[in-house]
Amino acid sequence: MRLARRLGVSALALGLVAPFVGSPYRTQQRGLDLDAIARAIDEGSDHVTARQLAEWIRDRRPGLRVIDVRSPDQFRDYAIPTAESLPIDQLARSSFAPDQTIVLYSQEGAHAGQAWVMLRALGVSHVLFVPGGLADWRDDVLNPLLPADGSPAERARIAELSRYFGGSPRIEGSQGGEVAGAAQTGPGFRRRGC
Amino acid sequence: MNDLLVAAGIGVAFGWALECVGLGDPPKLAGQFYLRDFTVLKVMLSAMLTAMLGIFWAGRLGMLDLGALYVPETYLLPQLVGGLVFGLGFVLSGLCPGTSCVALASGRIEGAATMLGLFAGVLFIGLAFPAIEPFYRSTPRGPLTLQLVTGLPYGVVVALVTAVGVSTLAWIAKREAAR
Repeated sequence: MRLARRLGVSALALGLVAPFVGSPYRTQQRGLDLDAIARAIDEGSDHVTARQLAEWIRDRRPGLRVIDVRSPDQFRDYAIPTAESLPIDQLARSSFAPDQTIVLYSQEGAHAGQAWVMLRALGVSHVLFVPGGLADWRDDVLNPLLPADGSPAERARIAELSRYFGGSPRIEGSQGGEVAGAAQTGPGFRRRGC
Repeated sequence: MNDLLVAAGIGVAFGWALECVGLGDPPKLAGQFYLRDFTVLKVMLSAMLTAMLGIFWAGRLGMLDLGALYVPETYLLPQLVGGLVFGLGFVLSGLCPGTSCVALASGRIEGAATMLGLFAGVLFIGLAFPAIEPFYRSTPRGPLTLQLVTGLPYGVVVALVTAVGVSTLAWIAKREAAR
């Protein structure tokens, strides 16, 4: 009982002193660190290509969180596998674990880029976006053009990744990019909006 | 792998602590709902005070970056409903998820029954998720904390919660001593 009383008094002392010792935060929680943002853009550490993202998803990269910032209707039409729908107006109300790698994408990349700035302003540091958005996913992952002058290993790697996601690689130089292997599959995309 | 080892170590220590205070015993836990036994409240309050004061002072002394802490999001209505369902299951079985593991490890059959119900519930929610997802994501309020809700400085919230917590613990101790 004596120990419990001592612990109680200690807790009370620590708690009652708390208002007078200042903020426990090391840095301001929110706000734009313009230098860090400029550095990230300059170094290219602000984005990830659709193909790189596909490899991360296939390899089940730990902590990866893919976020579709388009409208829920567009998300229902088609979305990148493993992605979750988080429209841009809900981003500010969401929270992100510090050990997660957040990857944002939109239809063509503009909205994802804007969402990237929003998240950086909210203090999320491990955030990237896909510059070409879903259009790049279609062109570079689902229906990639296998380079005619590429090495067989490189072509096989691209084709394997495409087929992993149910896509159909095309062969460069053929009429309109002949589909390699099976008939062309995947959702019908068209470039529109952001 | 290291994370898993650390998690396993914390889990074992947590279970051991729960068993030590007798929270593997369903009647003891259910007693809280009937205000017969205040062990659950004492454990919860002391744990919350320890964590809150530990985080505040570790942050203030530069040992912990509070900005790196993950605060789960609040979804008001679904979490209220979830809390009610959780409470109903708690009082019916006399165990919560953590204490059901402890009860099972101590050889109590109630622990196994509760864990079975737990996994059945997880499976059911997982299968029904597409249907309930709109409700699951309704009334989002973001990562709410008492500071955000009240607008009070962090230190003031810490002082108020400490005062309420310690007073409640002192009241329980006095009540138990009078018996």
